[in-house]
Amino acid sequence: MSAAGTLALAAVESFGATGPSLPAGPLLAATAESVGAGPAFIGEGPAFIGEGADWEFVFRNADYLGVGALLTIGLTVASILLGFLVGFPAGAVEVYGDGYLKRAVNVAGIVLRGTPIVVILIVMYFVVGVPQINLGVVSISSAMTAGILGLGLRSAAYQSQIFRATLSSVDAGQLEAGRSIGLSRFEAVRYVVVPQALRRSIPGFQNEFTIVLKDTSIVFAIGLAELLTRGYDLFSEQTTAVLEVILFISAIYFVLTFTTNRALDYLGRHYAIPEGESA
Amino acid sequence: MSDGDFLRVTDVSKWYGDERVLHDVSFEMDRGDVTVLIGPSGSGKSTMLRCVNRLAEAQEGSIRLDGEEVLSPDLDVDELRREVGMVFQGFNLFAHLTAVGNVALGPRRVLGLSEADARERAEEQLDRVGLADQLDSYPAELSGGQQQRVGIARALAMEPKLMLFDEPTSALDPELIGEVLEAMHGLVDEGMTMLVVTHEMSFAREVADEVVFLDEGHVVERGPPDQLFERPEKERTGRFLERIASHD
Repeated sequence: MSAAGTLALAAVESFGATGPSLPAGPLLAATAESVGAGPAFIGEGPAFIGEGADWEFVFRNADYLGVGALLTIGLTVASILLGFLVGFPAGAVEVYGDGYLKRAVNVAGIVLRGTPIVVILIVMYFVVGVPQINLGVVSISSAMTAGILGLGLRSAAYQSQIFRATLSSVDAGQLEAGRSIGLSRFEAVRYVVVPQALRRSIPGFQNEFTIVLKDTSIVFAIGLAELLTRGYDLFSEQTTAVLEVILFISAIYFVLTFTTNRALDYLGRHYAIPEGESA
Repeated sequence: MSDGDFLRVTDVSKWYGDERVLHDVSFEMDRGDVTVLIGPSGSGKSTMLRCVNRLAEAQEGSIRLDGEEVLSPDLDVDELRREVGMVFQGFNLFAHLTAVGNVALGPRRVLGLSEADARERAEEQLDRVGLADQLDSYPAELSGGQQQRVGIARALAMEPKLMLFDEPTSALDPELIGEVLEAMHGLVDEGMTMLVVTHEMSFAREVADEVVFLDEGHVVERGPPDQLFERPEKERTGRFLERIASHD
C-alpha cells in the first residue's frame, strides 16, 4: 500500500475509534478526507480529533494568532486601498490617456504583474529600503511599509486591469451623450462612465481582495509574522497540533473572505441599475 | 428661403481616411427654422449633423452659428455644445441615472445649478415631453419612445438655441414613433430652431421650412418641402422619394 493509502487508513481508523468528545462535529467527514489527501508532514500524528487532539494548545495561543490575524487584516486593507488609489487612475490612463504617460503606466503594469511577489517585497525591503513611517499615534515599521508598498503596488497593477476592462465596456454612446450636453471629457468620464464602470468592477474586485488577503502571508520573506507565519511557528513548536493550527487559521481566512465577499455582494445589489421588462 | 443669419454651412467637406463622406455641403437656416436632412443611408446626413456640434470634425469649409465659426480650432467645444442640443438615434441615456438624473446632470454639472434647482428644471422638462409620471424611472424601465422623450428633455434642459436630431425615431417600434414626433411637433410650435435627420417624410412635409436631399455626400437638391416632394428637379431625388414612399 502506498504511503498516502496508509495515511488515509490511519485517519479513518482514528476517526472510527473516536467518541463524540470533539467540538468540531460537522468538520469530521471533511477533515478525515483532507487527511487522506494531505501533505506528508501530517503523518506524524493525525490525531487532531479524539484523545490526541490538541485544540487546547490552539486556544491557549489564540491571542498569538489573533495578533497575526490583525496584521493580515491591516496589510490587506492598506494594500487594497493603495492598490485602488493607484490602480484606478492607472486603468483610466490606459483607456483614456495617450503618449508617454500611457506607455509608462502600461510598462509599469507589465513589470509588476510579471514579477513574483516575493521578489517585489525583497526589492522593496532590502534594495529600495523604505523607511519607518511615524504617524504620531502609531509608527509603521519599515518591513510593514515595504509589505504594504509591495502588495499594494502589485494589487494596483492587477486592479488597473479590472478598471481598464470595465471602463472600456461602457458603451461609447454614453461618453458622447455626456459630451453633447457640454461636459468636458474629464467630466463626462467622471459623471457618466466611472459610475457605471465601478459597478461592473465589483466581481473582479472580489477576486482581487481574496487574492491579496491570502497573499499577505508572503511577507514572512521580509520578517513579518502575520497569521500564517505565526501558525507555522506554533506547529513547529508543538508538532502534535499541526492540523489543529492549520484548521484554525483556515477558518479565520474563510471568515474574512466570506464576510468581505458578502459585503461586496450587498454593495453590488444595492447599487445595481434597475432593469425593466421593456427595453 | 433663409438668408442664413443664424446657421450658415458653407462648402463643408469631410474625409474618413481616403474616403470623402461630405462634398462641399452648403445650406442655411434662420432662427426658428426647421431644416430636415434626408437621403439614403451612408449619404453623409448624420455626419453633417455631427459636424455642427463637433462630435465629428469637418476638414474643410465653414459653419457659422450665430456669427461664430464652429470649425475654428480656438473654439471652446464644450461652450458650443452647451448651446446646441442633440438627440441620438440610440437614445444614449445615462444608464445609471433616473429620468430626472439624466435631465438634471447638464444643469447641475455644466450650468452649475444647485441640486434642487437642477431637479426642478429636470421635472419641468420631463413634464414638457409628457413624462411627469416617470421622473424616477431608470432608462431600462422605460419604453423606447419614453427613453427618446427623456433624451429630448435632457437636451432641452440646457436651453439650447439649436436642436440637432439624429434619426430620433429610427430605432423605435412603429407604434412608439408617434409620441416622439408629437414631442418634436411641440418644439416646432414653440419656435425652436431644429436641424433634423429623419426618414419620417410626413414630419418633414408638415414642419420643415427647407428639406435638403443628400446623396453620397453631395447636396443633390434642396428646397421647401412641397416643392421638393411634389416636383423634385433632380432625377435622383425623385427615385429616392419613390423608394421611401413604397415603404410607407
